[in-house]
Parts: sequence; C-alpha cells; structure tokens
Amino acid sequence: MIRIFTAGLLVLFCLVSSSLFAQQTADRITGFFPGVAFERFMEKVEEETTYRFYYKEEDIRELTVNIQADSSKLEEVLSQIFLNSDLKFTISQSGEVFISKGQKLTVDFPNTFFNQSGQGGGSGEFSQQDEFVRNRRYTIGVPSGEGRTAKIQGQILSLENGKPIDGAIVYEKLSQTQTITDQEGRYVLTLPKGNQTLLVQNIGGYTEQRLIDLQGDGELNMSIGEGVFSLNEVVVRSGALSNVSRPEMGVQSMTVQQMRKLPAVMGEVDILKGLLTMPGVNTAGEASVGFNVRGGAADQNLILFDQSTLFNPSHLFGFFSAVNSDMVQGVELYKAGIPASLGGRLSSVLQVTPKQGRTDKIGGSGGIGPLTSRLSIDGPIGQKTTFIVGARMTYSDWLLDYLEENADIGASRAFFADFNGTIEHRFDEKNILRFTGYYSEDEFQFDPDTVYSYSNQNFALSWTHYFNYQLEATFSAGQDAYDFQVQGEDNPLNSYQYNFDIRQRFLKAQFRQEKGQRHIFTYGIHSIWYDLNPGEIAPFGAESIVIPDQVASEKALETSLFFGDEFEINDQWTVSGGVRYNLYGYFGPQTLPVYAPGEPFLAENITGEKTYNSGELVQSYHGPEFRISGRYAINNWSSIKAGVNTMRQNIHLMSNSSVITPTDTWKLSDAFIAPQRGIQYALGYFQNLKNNTLEFSAEVYYRTMENLLDYRSGATIVLNDRIEQDVLITQGKAYGLELYLKKSQGKLNGSLAYTYSRSLLQTDPSERKEKINRSEWYPSNFDQPHNANLVLNYELSRRFNTTLAGKYSTGRPVTLPISKFQYAGSERVFFSDRNAMRIPDYFRLDLSINLEGNHKVNKIAHSSWSLGVYNILGRDNPYSIYYVPEGGKLQGYQLAIFAEPIPFITYNFRF
Amino acid sequence: MRKTVFILSFLILAFGCREPYEPEVSQESVSALVVEGYLDTEGLESELLLSRTVSIGAEATFAPEIGAKVTLYGENGRTFSLAEKEPGVYTIAQNMPEDMEYQLEIELRTGELFESETMKPIITPEIIDAGFLQDEEGVEVFVTTQGDENADDFLWTFEETWIYRPRIRVPYIYDPKISNVRDRTQAEKIDLCFKNETNPDILLETSSRFQDQVVFRKTITEIPQGDERIMERYSILISQKAIDSEAVQFWETLKRNTEDIGSIFSPLPSQISGNIKSVGDSGIPVVGQISMGVVKQRRIYINLTDVSPWGYLDPEFNDCAIGLEEVRSQNYKTAFGDGSVLPARGLMEGTTIVAYYPVDRRCADCTLYASRVKPDFWEDD
Repeated sequence: MIRIFTAGLLVLFCLVSSSLFAQQTADRITGFFPGVAFERFMEKVEEETTYRFYYKEEDIRELTVNIQADSSKLEEVLSQIFLNSDLKFTISQSGEVFISKGQKLTVDFPNTFFNQSGQGGGSGEFSQQDEFVRNRRYTIGVPSGEGRTAKIQGQILSLENGKPIDGAIVYEKLSQTQTITDQEGRYVLTLPKGNQTLLVQNIGGYTEQRLIDLQGDGELNMSIGEGVFSLNEVVVRSGALSNVSRPEMGVQSMTVQQMRKLPAVMGEVDILKGLLTMPGVNTAGEASVGFNVRGGAADQNLILFDQSTLFNPSHLFGFFSAVNSDMVQGVELYKAGIPASLGGRLSSVLQVTPKQGRTDKIGGSGGIGPLTSRLSIDGPIGQKTTFIVGARMTYSDWLLDYLEENADIGASRAFFADFNGTIEHRFDEKNILRFTGYYSEDEFQFDPDTVYSYSNQNFALSWTHYFNYQLEATFSAGQDAYDFQVQGEDNPLNSYQYNFDIRQRFLKAQFRQEKGQRHIFTYGIHSIWYDLNPGEIAPFGAESIVIPDQVASEKALETSLFFGDEFEINDQWTVSGGVRYNLYGYFGPQTLPVYAPGEPFLAENITGEKTYNSGELVQSYHGPEFRISGRYAINNWSSIKAGVNTMRQNIHLMSNSSVITPTDTWKLSDAFIAPQRGIQYALGYFQNLKNNTLEFSAEVYYRTMENLLDYRSGATIVLNDRIEQDVLITQGKAYGLELYLKKSQGKLNGSLAYTYSRSLLQTDPSERKEKINRSEWYPSNFDQPHNANLVLNYELSRRFNTTLAGKYSTGRPVTLPISKFQYAGSERVFFSDRNAMRIPDYFRLDLSINLEGNHKVNKIAHSSWSLGVYNILGRDNPYSIYYVPEGGKLQGYQLAIFAEPIPFITYNFRF
Repeated sequence: MRKTVFILSFLILAFGCREPYEPEVSQESVSALVVEGYLDTEGLESELLLSRTVSIGAEATFAPEIGAKVTLYGENGRTFSLAEKEPGVYTIAQNMPEDMEYQLEIELRTGELFESETMKPIITPEIIDAGFLQDEEGVEVFVTTQGDENADDFLWTFEETWIYRPRIRVPYIYDPKISNVRDRTQAEKIDLCFKNETNPDILLETSSRFQDQVVFRKTITEIPQGDERIMERYSILISQKAIDSEAVQFWETLKRNTEDIGSIFSPLPSQISGNIKSVGDSGIPVVGQISMGVVKQRRIYINLTDVSPWGYLDPEFNDCAIGLEEVRSQNYKTAFGDGSVLPARGLMEGTTIVAYYPVDRRCADCTLYASRVKPDFWEDD
C-alpha cells in the first residue's frame, strides 16, 4: 500500500516537473530538460528568446539535452550540453547561434581587433568599463597550436581610485583553478585553452566576471569596483544536493540562522523547538522540551552538545531548551541512518554543533529578552588559539513577583543559567586540540518550603590529528554529569533533602579514512563508564527525624566497537554500512534479591539474596547493531534510499508521567532489566526541483522495539530500590509516512511537513505482574497520527523579514474517567483503558518579525530586533485534561498552557 | 501533592487557562462492581459496601448492589455471613480468630460470583498519642503510633463532629394550634446542632521510614484559623488500620487517581482493581480492597476556649439581624405562619410580651444546616 502511494507520488512529481518547462522571458534559459532531443531544445529556446540557431542537421542528430536551467545564460547551457561532444558554438551579438563540429566559427571580430595593445597579443581592458563588460567574451592570445593550456596574466586595479588591488582571488569558474593577486595587483593563471569564465573576488566587494576565449598566452587587465556592500548572511552549504545525494536517510539539519527566523516563546531562540517543525519529530506538550522521534520515547534521543551528552536538555520544566542558541552553529537530527560511530539510544541522535571562535578579532553577540539575557564573546588568543564563551541568565523573578501581587502563588522563585565555552588550539596543520565545557543550573520553588534544583555539567577534551590527506583521527575524553535535588523544609521534623545524580565518563577514538576514491571508512572505539546514584534521601536540619535512605548506586561499563564504510559503487549507487558491537557490563558492589526461577519479579517470589563485591560483574549484555543504508540516484535531482538500523539502549529514564519531568530518574540495565532494543526499516524518495531551490522528500518507516518499560498501576519511581517489581516489560512498534517540502531560496521561502505516524505499545505477553489493557496493543503517550508543520518566511528586504509558523497535530492519547463510584466516603473515578481517549487536536499559528539594524560598515555593534506573537489565534490548545471533585460532582477541565496570544520582543546584538 | 497544585497554578496564572471539559465518552461505560470494607476481628461492627460504578454525569454516585450473599470463609472451615442492613451495606460484628487466613465470597443476585484473595488479619498497634497543635495558620490534628514487624503500613480515616450554632438564638415558636407564640420546648430547640462529616482524605504512612518505626505526629487534618468546625466544641474520631503492602498500593492508586490527576506533572491515571476477582469468565471488572484486622480508634475534643481567639465568622450570615419593627399579636399568623420568619425577641410592656421582633429563619435555625440529634458518643465538656 505504501509502495503504491510512493509510486503515485513519483508520477505526480513527474507531472509537476514537466509543467515547469521553460517559461522565462529575456534571453535567459529556464526549464527542466530531462533527456529531450537537442532539436526540441532549440525550438524551445527560439520560442522563448530571440536567439536563432544555425547548424548542420547531421551534427546534432544524436544529441540529447539533460539539464535543469534556472535563468541561465545560453552560453553556460550550451557549454554544458556540448561538454562531452566535439561541437562548438559561437554566439553573435545579434543573437545568432552557430553550431559547428570541431572548429569554432568566428562570427564577430574579436574585441581586441579594435583595441590592440600589442602586448603579447593580449588585451588591455582598462578603457572598456561598461555594463556589458561581464558578458562580453574576450579572446586572449593567438592560437599557437602547441599545448593544451595557456598562461593568462594581468593586473587588477580599483575602479574607484585606479590603485592595484592586493589579495583579490582570481579563479576559473568550473575548474576552480585560482590564484591571489600580489601587491601590484598582478596575477598569473594557467588554464586550458578554450572558453573559460574568469572570476575575481575582491574581499568585501563584488564578484567580477570575464568571459574569455583563451587561445594562447596573453594578458587581461581588469578594473573592478571596491565598493563594500552587505552580503546576505553567508550560509555555507556542503553540497547543494546533499539531501538527494547523501547515502543516509532520515537526517534533518537546521542552522541557527533558520531557527532565528522561527517565532519563539518569550523571544528565546530555541534549538529544540526548531526541530519540531521537521517531519517525524513531535512533542508530548507545549511545556516540554523532551521530544519524540518516530514514535520513540523522549529518553530514546541522544542529545550531544559537541561530544557531551546532555541528560536534561531543558530549563524551567521545558519552557526553554538548555542550550544557548548564540553558542550553536547548527543541529543535525538523525532519525534513521545513524552513523555507526554514534549510538546508545533507540530513536535518534541530535548532534548540536557548537560555534567556534573566530580568528580575526575579538567580538561577541548577545540578546536581551523579557525573561532572559545572553552574552557571548569569541575571538583569537594569539595566532593559534581561538575561544568562545557564552552565558545566559534569567531574571524571571520579576514576572513571578508581578504575578504574586495579583494572585496567591506564594513565594515562587525560578532561576536558571547556563554557561559554555570552547577553546581550540592548533598546534600545527595536523594537530588540533579542543576543550569544550558546559554548565547549566536551574532552581525553582513554588512555596517557601520546597526547592527543586538541577544541573548539567559537561566537559570534553578532544585531539584531532591528521595523519595525511586520507586519514584523520579524533581522540576524546570527558565527563557528563547531571544532578537533581529537592529540599523540603515544610516541618523541621520532616525536613529532607532528596537527590539523584548520574555521571558518565567516556573515552572515544574515532578514525576516518578515505580509501581510494570510493570508500570512506569510519572506525573506532567508544567506552562509557556509568556511575549512577538513583536516589537518596537525607534528613535536613538538626531536628529532622527522617531516616536517611539510599537506593544502591549503580555502576556499569559500556564499550562499543564500530566500523562504518561509505562506499560509492558508481554514480548511481552509494551504500553506507556499519556495524557497532555493544558490550555492556553491570558491576558491583551490589546486593540483589534472587527471584524464584520462572516467577515474576515480585516481592513474594524472593528466595534469597546475592551480594557482589566492588568491581564484580553482575550482569553483562552484548550484541551487534547494524546500520545499513543505500542510495540509488535516479538522476542528479532525485534518488531513492533505503535503510535498516538496529539500536541498543542500556540506560532508561523512569517516568510515570506523559512528559519528562525533573523528578524522573535514570536507571541502568541490570540483572532484571535488559537493554532496550529496536530495529527500524526505512525507505525514502528524495527530489530537488527548480535548480535545487525546492527540496522534496517522502519517507516511510517501520520500527519495532523490545524491552521498553511501562509501569504497574500505582508504581512508585522515586526511591524505589526494587524497581523491577514495578515495571512491566513492554514492546513497541511504530510506523509512519513523512512528507517534506522545503524552499530554501527566494523572497518567499519555508517548509511544509506532514507526518502520518502511529506509536503503539503492548505489555509483553510473558509479563505476569500486570497486563495493561489485557496485553492488547495500546497507543503510547505520544501517538499523534496526523502532524503538519508549516513555516513561511517572507523576506521583504535584507533587513526585514517576517515568518509565519503553523502547527497542527492530532491530540495525544489520554486515559480518561468513564465512570464513577463511591469509595472511602468520597466520589472516585473509574478510568478507561490506558490511553483509550484523546485530547482535542492541537493547532497553533505564530508570527514573528525580524528587523536587522542598518549595515553601515563602521558601526560599533550590529543589532536586530525580533518581535512577534506566539499563538496568534489565541487558541486554547489543551495540554492536559483532568477531573476534580467539585461540589460533590466530578468536573472535567482542560488545561491550556499558552491559551492567549503571547507577544514577545527581543533585542539582539553582535560586535 | 500541594506542590503540583502550586506548579499548576503558576502555569495557569502565567500563561494558561483552564476551561470546563466534557468528553465524548460513549455511554456504554463499563459498570464495575465496587467493594469496600475493613472487617474488624474483635467484634466491632464493620460494614462492607457493595455498589456499581455509574456514569460520570449521573447525579447519585452510590448505586447499591442489593440482595447479594456475602460470606467470609475461615481457614478452619468456619463461615461468617454478612447481613444486608441497608441497601448495599452488609454488616458483621463477630469475634474472629486472628491467627488464620480468610477468604470473602460475594454472590450477586444475578448469580455472578466473586471472591477475594486470602486475607490475613493484621492487629493494628495502639495509637500512642493523638492531639493537636496550634499555630498562626490554625489547628493541626496529629496522631503518633509505632509500627511493628506485622504492621508496617498504616491507613487512617477520620470522622469529624462539631457543635453548630445559628447566628441568632430564638427561644420562641409560633404555634399554629394556638395561633400564638410560645416558648420552645426542649425538643423544639433549634440553636444547638451537630454536624458530622466523614472525611474522604486517604492518609497513608509507612512506619519503617522512621527510626524505631515511630510515626511521630502524623498530620491527620488541618483546621484553618476561624473555621466553622471549632465554633464551640469539635470532636474527631481517628481510626487507625494497619494494612498490608498490597492494600497500600490500592489506596495509593485510589488517592492518586483522585487527588493528583490533571496537574502538569501528574502520573498517568492507573487502572485500579484490588484483591477481589471475578470467578469464572464474567468479564465484570471489580474495584475493591478488603482488609481484615483490628481497628484502633481515638477520639479527641477541641473546645473553642482551647484555641481562642479563634475568630469564626461566617460572612453568609453577616446580614442577619433582628428586625426593628415589632410584629403585633394580630399579625402573628401572617408574619410567622409559614415559618420563614421566626419570633426572636419579645417587646415587653409591663411584664407581658405584647409583640415580637422577627428574624429570618435561615439566621436562626441550625437544623437547616445540621442535625439536632446529639450523637451517642458525644461527651459534653
């Protein structure tokens, strides 16, 4: 069924493509010519333009055109068409196109004919500065017949003052052969004979173009404008066709510039919220940064900030993500096609790439918003070292104070901050050392008695060594830690301090090796030592009679060996395969109960106890993970990809609620709880349209998951040292279709994503403790079948752009009361089957406007304003539904978190 | 979970809003059997309640299951029958040996059969101390006890009774038989009532959390400063029951499903069942946890004088005042005949009352709000 659908899509898009055929005015060529006869091509061009073709029929009989053109010049198009033939063309000034075989016809007098400078047959050009200078073809030198290349030299002068320009780059467009002008503005280039396009890039100025017909050694002098003008923010793309041509699938990337355009809650640019506009990425609710990828739970995402794992990616229960966007270069989310070098979570890997310090001067950037402010500074230290440091802090207390005046919310306090920094030192061309650190802190209280706090602490040191052009290696080591704490001082006798923490230390060695032209190997080893304190309570204060209690700490070592190969078989086929072998050991000291064999893990089935010494292996698990994906390029603009991924996860987040909450605790796989395992099959079709400005993709996936955890009714997670008695072994399956259309260029750009997906769970039939919904399949907490995201960005000018973002999704499943009864003197609720009901659908529109300051060169700081409205329709999307006994009757309520349009304004600056 | 309430209110105030919600629940809602009871083994009369769940919108919550046969089987072959005292209320008052296991069987009038898992009575330790503390926020009633190797988990329930007085005391009554006003008899007094409430709170504690298993001053209830309950004299009966860990799970689930639902950090509502199962394949869900043991009770009294200044003042009655215009005898019938206005004070001329100043009945009649019947246990100061 899915296959039929995909095939239908293919047909649909073919129709769309052909209707895009050449519809351009003037003398530019636009259109998609998928293998049409050259004759047909000429007819089209003659229809649309004033060009007329002259040719011998026999010369072009066999020729077909396979090209996509968007406002291209005829010269370029023809050069490309004739690239592998011996046909030559010449275009006269009156628009006649002469096609000949072997020998090029001369139809106009060479420009040099009237302007002989006599210097080696070259052409001095300084006198001819007119508006056609860029499109006129200069014939350089005289045909010598000897050799296939010729030397071109000349001098580049400033148009404004006639002085030589030092340091301009002179290069040929296709071969990228380049050189830099010396102090006199002189350059020398050796190029193949024939038609060439010479470009001159003066830093900060316009790119100048000259078309030349290089016939022999000669000279070309140029005067170019030096005027400084502002460029669009330069986005460096690694290959425009990347989504079509890269072998992996299910990868979404986003630059921080794209995120900045999205409307934000409270004006805070949020890297994780940006991801939610992508297909296949979902969230359980508005106030949760935790996200779900392809039907997986929020703890199945590996969030990497450079090399460091972030255990809690959110501030203030998820209103903000914990990463300061000023410190981020971009994010990449792997939903499938996860490289063998990454692993440890079942659903996805989110790679956050931190920004690097600039090398030219010390600068910075920052922002001031209603709730937070941020500042970052970066630059060089000496010749070889760069740094970047950033901080972000909230001052939300004023808001709470303000609210307190109007309502009784007690002594609420909330504070958060994060700091990060990177120092990079280049010893030489071959050795780079980098240190990255991250620290975040959150503290909040809702009444004077109880303070919640948590903190992420990460650092990593990595050394990259380039052995040669083929082989590079990165060795890294670091620690990732997360602490959580609650302090309750309600009553001096019962005052307590509860905390848990996790610490993981890692070592990783990763090699990347290019083998020949067609193989890229990635291999290495990755070890993680886990040290987990699952929970501890201690009396707080002298009077407290709370008994200290601690769930035994857990230790484990996970080592993965991985090998991956990206193999380009030929132009059509590329496969990327990898295997990751995961070894996991759970170590003592530990005292574990012994359950009667074959009986469920319940207190009454305990037959004894076994004690393990420090360092003694309690339980081990191991197994391979396979990552295979392949791409078949149908042509330059479309490809089909397929992949299979298997994953293992040894660390589990214990959460008895539908969203990630701070009190959720982590648990390592142990003698009773096995690692989660999953397999995903995916198939996708990728196509770029309109000269790569339009990207389309359609992906389908199916995944199964084993050893997931759900909880018995009434399970307690906090301070439960026998959690295996309260968890239910659960299996999951998920499947879906993701459609994505993105327009990356033009005044109006944006993206549209639609996802149909299901995520289902089932208590494993072997589970005897309790069977949720009688062991039938039931929807997971984040099963939202329909999901659509729209981002529309309109750039009125370079300084003014406006973005409209919309989101629709099916309401998430909930368990609702279906009947009521009297018990213990009060009305009680009888609930439906687990997740048998749904909250109403979700729909939201946001609008934002970004205003850039002026672009004067000598400004001290560049500034921009970002303002907008979140939830512009003011729709009260229910986040949750609940019932409270009220006046003897059970009243249902729906709670919306952002029920009103929320305006925001943020001032950003950089210097 | 006061904290979640705070979090919730913060979120609502900050950004959110809550609105009434009516789900589209199909009316084929399951009708489950509900069983409730704690059977005392030392002869204290214990109730076992049998009912059915009703649809969410229903007016009455208690749909009694009548005509069932409820039997308790002892390990040694002894059987005890429970008799239906009121619709759905089955009682037993028997001394039963505590050193054996029991099983409860329920046969509905339709013939469907249910039985409990085996139960072992737990002898609840004594309440060591029960009392109250006062601070600026009000009065906190507490209990102290100590667990032992058999009794680790505790469930407390409590019943509150207090004297309720109307704002204005009326010594007179209009008697239609004599078409005149006369003094009220003792049985006609409407200025002293008793209010009685069984509290729905579920209070649980595990004693092994504390040193020597001493549960020290566990808060049973908090009475805010100025609350009606201590307008004169207040009494609370605290029942302490030791239960097993399975029962703790049931009660915690019940508590969670009632109190903790709907906040942003709420756990998922849990399916609730208990220790009663349907026999055979009837497919009828059952909710209920029956426990056996000995209930320990303690009653304490709190007088207004113990806590004064208390400052009780119900604003609902702030407009209550005795009318300034007297009602003359020829108007008694018109003024007092329908009972909505009562004669409150006499107007003396010489030594006789010639007219009465009236007062609204709602300001003077405590029977509108409470019961005139003095509970059997009540001890006057």
